[in-house]
Amino acid sequence: MLLCDFHIHTKYSDGSMELRKVVDLFGQAGFDVIAITDHVVNGDSMIGKFAYKFRFTVTEKNFNEYIENIRYEAKRALEKYGMIVIPGVEISKNYLSSEKSAHILIIDIKDFIPACASYETIFLEAKKQNALVVACHPHHIKGEIRNTLYLWKNRNKYGKYIDAWEIANRDDVFNVVSLKKYPYIANSDFHKARHLYSWKTLLNCDKNVVSIKNCIKNNKGVAITLFRG
Amino acid sequence: MILWIVLCLVFLSLTVYFVQILALRRKLSESYGLTNFPPISIIKPLKGLDDNLFDNLESFCKQDYPEYEVIFSLQDRNDPAYRVAEKVRNKYPELVKIVIDSSYNALNPKVKNMISAYKESKYDYFLISDSNVYVEPDYLKKTVSSMTSDTGLVTNLIVGHGGKTLGAKLENLQLNSFVITSVCFLDKFLKMPCSIGKSMLMRKSDFEEIGGFNAVKDVLAEDYLIGKLMHQKGKRVVLCSYTIRNINEYWSMNKFLNRHTRWAKIRWKIAGLKYFSEPLSNPVFVSSLIPVLEGFSKISMTAFILVVTIKIAFDLYISRLIKSPIGLSGLLIPLKDLITAIIWFVPLLSCKINWRDNLYIIGKNTVIKPYESNSSLKVVFNRLKTVITG
Repeated sequence: MLLCDFHIHTKYSDGSMELRKVVDLFGQAGFDVIAITDHVVNGDSMIGKFAYKFRFTVTEKNFNEYIENIRYEAKRALEKYGMIVIPGVEISKNYLSSEKSAHILIIDIKDFIPACASYETIFLEAKKQNALVVACHPHHIKGEIRNTLYLWKNRNKYGKYIDAWEIANRDDVFNVVSLKKYPYIANSDFHKARHLYSWKTLLNCDKNVVSIKNCIKNNKGVAITLFRG
Repeated sequence: MILWIVLCLVFLSLTVYFVQILALRRKLSESYGLTNFPPISIIKPLKGLDDNLFDNLESFCKQDYPEYEVIFSLQDRNDPAYRVAEKVRNKYPELVKIVIDSSYNALNPKVKNMISAYKESKYDYFLISDSNVYVEPDYLKKTVSSMTSDTGLVTNLIVGHGGKTLGAKLENLQLNSFVITSVCFLDKFLKMPCSIGKSMLMRKSDFEEIGGFNAVKDVLAEDYLIGKLMHQKGKRVVLCSYTIRNINEYWSMNKFLNRHTRWAKIRWKIAGLKYFSEPLSNPVFVSSLIPVLEGFSKISMTAFILVVTIKIAFDLYISRLIKSPIGLSGLLIPLKDLITAIIWFVPLLSCKINWRDNLYIIGKNTVIKPYESNSSLKVVFNRLKTVITG
């Protein structure tokens, strides 16, 4: 089975490590597939403005450079470690209220999608790019003051656009996802080296991007594992 | 009076450290005599994910050496290191073998891990190498060059490399000061056999003569015992001047404290009373006694800072010798020396060891037995029971 992590941040947003070092860390640990998903933050809220000011976000301006660098690293990772690296972003709609906030992984993104666009626009644009849409940390996280509950609260409206839900994020497990029998994956939400040891996804499929996306969408041959060193 | 004694100790301590650096310098200036290159089996016991594991393992597959094999040995297919080992084997299928077996009985988990791989290995010369070691392509050739007919064991100097977290930086500072200089001092000036488990080259015939893995299966410091037994059999134990890298990048403080507490306990159980001379190689600790005993006056603090500065200068010099720049981590040297000074006391209070999630009680010559948390209570209970029941 392929050992995967689809939720990883680098210094392009609020991660603590450079892209190259992140790729090497996962490659050295024997991973088969990873997705780099730095934040694209909405600039229409106070928190969003803060993220822009301190460059904790990928912007329309540096998006192409971001994707280019990921593709360069993807080539290197495939040659050296036999590891697939998929470009992605985490659309981060941050507001003071947890009920209004939501984070969405767009995996295998090609063109920039602004986070201040409406949910429908974001989902439809992601589908147009044939990218995978994942609702991340959709429920309450222990000890977290600000949660991202919007998508879960509005799952009846938006569920049809979402290819998978994060059933586990780093150390937290969201059992509501399994109770609703939604398609699932588990990720580290990697920001620091120690986050390597966290929940991960195992996929039983061929090792190429199309098969990986189909496997997650169809949610057959998907398992989760708590990865420990 | 006490101040004078402490000042004398500080001077002695700086002198001891200086002599240790001289030993390292002499060791590093030794040359290699390249002769013949016998086929070698490299045995790499794996457990868990070490930093830089893929590159570490791959570096053994890139040796500029005519004939050799690499065997990765694991006890469990579910070990995360297995995936990495498998990827390296897929890249070098003709060179690499993976052996998975946990059926042998040995309290030392590293020894237990290696027995099957040793049986699978096909050459008379074999080299045990830890998974956190990275080597350059000329490693095998230069290490083998120290293997003369009267040599039983060749081992290498280790240099800590790659610290990115506080724990890893402290670890590398300790390896690149106290550890490397002490080993060279014991080897060069005291002529004591030093064997370092991270790299040990032997002949099977010699190894079996000293009892093989059976002789070391229930001790913690199997490397030390192998060296000692070889020495007793009249074989030379050679510390090769070729340095190998021990990659420590993302260590936590806990890991650093755990390793050095374990190593201190090993040294205490091996050295006995000689262990009490060890603080003399830690000038920062000895000089910290000045302000402690004399109060934090201007003079005592000046003396302390002066010694700390000299120690940092010494360590910077060592880093130049071993070509492993310290950079700003050098500022952590006093902190590291004070922490290791505190660790020095631990073996005097406890003989419990935690190694790779196994708990042991360590005895003389590092013989281990499994730790049972309520063992003493059990003994008392059983004795009482015997007394009562007659």
